[in-house]
Amino acid sequence: MDISVTLFGGLRHFLPAGSSFNKCTIKLDDGGHLDELLELLPIPAQKKYIVIINDEKVSREAYADITVHSDDEIVLLPPIKGG
Amino acid sequence: MAWQKQILRVNLSTGSCDIEPLNMEWAEAYLGSRGLGSKYLYEEMDPATDALSAENKIIFATGPLTGTMASTGGRYTVVTKGALTGAIACSNSGGKFGAELKMAGYDLLIIEGVSAKPVYLHIEDDKVELCDASEIWGKTVWQTEDLLAAKYRDPLMRFAGIGQAGESLCRFACVVNDKHRAAGRSGVGAVMGSKNLKTIAVRGTKGVHAKDPKAFYKIVNDVNARMTDRDEMSRDGTLAMIDVTNGFGSLPTNNNRSVRFEGANKLNPEAMHSPNENGHTNIVTNGACFACTIGCGRICKIDPKHFSVKDRPEYHGASGGLEYETAYALGSACGVDDIDAATFAGFLCNEYGMDPISLGGTIAAAMELYDIGAIDDSITGGIKLEFGSAEALCQIAELTGKGEGFGADIAMGSKRLCEKYGHPDLSMTVKGQEFAAYDGRSMQGMGLAYATSNRGACHLRADPYGHDFETTEIEGKAKIVAESQRDVAFLDSSGLCLFPGGCGWGLEDYRTLVDAACESDWNEARMLETGERIWVLEKLFNLKAGLGKKDDTLPKRILEEPADVGTGKGLVCRLDEMLPEYYQLNGWDAEGVPTAATLKRLNLN
Repeated sequence: MDISVTLFGGLRHFLPAGSSFNKCTIKLDDGGHLDELLELLPIPAQKKYIVIINDEKVSREAYADITVHSDDEIVLLPPIKGG
Repeated sequence: MAWQKQILRVNLSTGSCDIEPLNMEWAEAYLGSRGLGSKYLYEEMDPATDALSAENKIIFATGPLTGTMASTGGRYTVVTKGALTGAIACSNSGGKFGAELKMAGYDLLIIEGVSAKPVYLHIEDDKVELCDASEIWGKTVWQTEDLLAAKYRDPLMRFAGIGQAGESLCRFACVVNDKHRAAGRSGVGAVMGSKNLKTIAVRGTKGVHAKDPKAFYKIVNDVNARMTDRDEMSRDGTLAMIDVTNGFGSLPTNNNRSVRFEGANKLNPEAMHSPNENGHTNIVTNGACFACTIGCGRICKIDPKHFSVKDRPEYHGASGGLEYETAYALGSACGVDDIDAATFAGFLCNEYGMDPISLGGTIAAAMELYDIGAIDDSITGGIKLEFGSAEALCQIAELTGKGEGFGADIAMGSKRLCEKYGHPDLSMTVKGQEFAAYDGRSMQGMGLAYATSNRGACHLRADPYGHDFETTEIEGKAKIVAESQRDVAFLDSSGLCLFPGGCGWGLEDYRTLVDAACESDWNEARMLETGERIWVLEKLFNLKAGLGKKDDTLPKRILEEPADVGTGKGLVCRLDEMLPEYYQLNGWDAEGVPTAATLKRLNLN
């Protein structure tokens, strides 16, 4: 299935080639989990971010337990500050 | 060393300009800039004094690292009693003015009294004079700087002054330096205007000397190598935040009626970097302050065909553009998604000398008053003050800068405006100061930080960001806010910017720079104690000014109306649960008053 993922802030610079400004589509096996999806994104391991699915923040401990659905709205936010 | 060990005291009532030794005992206890300026203000002035009276003082304070080669070492603070808030005002700015003042030989410039006629202050090292300002009074910040630059013909002369907003005592008038950097918050420009002081022109040639230059040079290079995360700030500036808060659901929209703005993608970095339908691109380049190795500033141009400037070529040049706070205040807060309109309103803020956060926050409140029918066209002068109206935003911004029409009402600030028209609950302020660009419902720590900020609502008095983006649960937030308020007080007092902290530096990097530049041992314990001492001193000022626990609060909307969308959907700010713990962690009593033991521990008796 195709999963749409939005990467905000500086994370967008790690989008796969051919992506739009801050969105990409990732192919994931049906019934795939969030940790598998995140591994398919070329974000360096040292980069920190939080994941929000359908306006709910997801804890890191739950990544492997969350089944991703094709209509999920998945957003990755870098923990930046200031402004 | 690093301190110049001199202050310049200018009495506008008598016309005297005196150079005095810096009180080194105070410098050792309060470091510089925000902390040291606050100490002088606290000791020399009755905090109950009216902010716009001759008895108020206004202090331009540099830090020990201001004017050094340490990255971002160009910061200075304007310390006074705020015209907007009645609280202590410590308004920080970058650019090049602060470093120039320091190189002229002064850690602090203390302005007192009131001039009988408009004057400006001209400083060239030890040569100091008050000059007649009749030819520049009534001019904009930009016109004033151009006229004086032409007069003195020194390209390295720097200026910090007010526009017409400061002259007309707009409550959120700011002090603008280098044309588009500003000590923006709390109405410090109105205080300057009340003293009939138009601008300060300064040129310094003395340099700034570190305790051990070779060691300092090495440490500067070492810590610069640790600033590994600055590319994003250089490329997108603070505007990168708008997608983050909008995605999270903490971007104040339509006077905090919502926490998500559907037009955010028209104000974000992509919009700023992409050509519009006329082929015009908003951003020209990035800009950096003195000694900065980040360059987060936005230098932008408005589309010459945009309605705001199409017949006004004087606005077709490049100047300071939208940063995150201005994009919020002049954008989402008012429901405006027109990047050129918001940029134009931002230009007007720099030109007339207004704080864009407070201007946008007040216009947003006025738009809600208009929306509910509390004000109408007869009050606004026929302006259709509807949420989302870019035309209304631009019209009102210009009227406010000039102090004309309904702009004179906007110039009172949101709190006074909403009280005047019978709806004080619609003012999104703390201690009379408009919110910054974060909503305290989905970011509970920021809610506490706003409520307890000594200068009124502010996003730069604490660092709850990381924890707030992690969780909306309140456990641990009081501790994070209390401790980071002290840390930030220390950093602000060093003469450096806070933004290296978001680009790879930790507190320890700031401390090593201070320790290398300044006399005596600035170890970690002393750093933390100094930060806390500064925070508590500011609190004491406010208590003597008549502010108390009743002022450590948030608007009813944030406390009682749940957030509509996002990660904080359904939440209100749980301030009443966090505040007692916050007071207790600070060593303050249940009314928010520092205990005798706390004062003794910090040598604040």
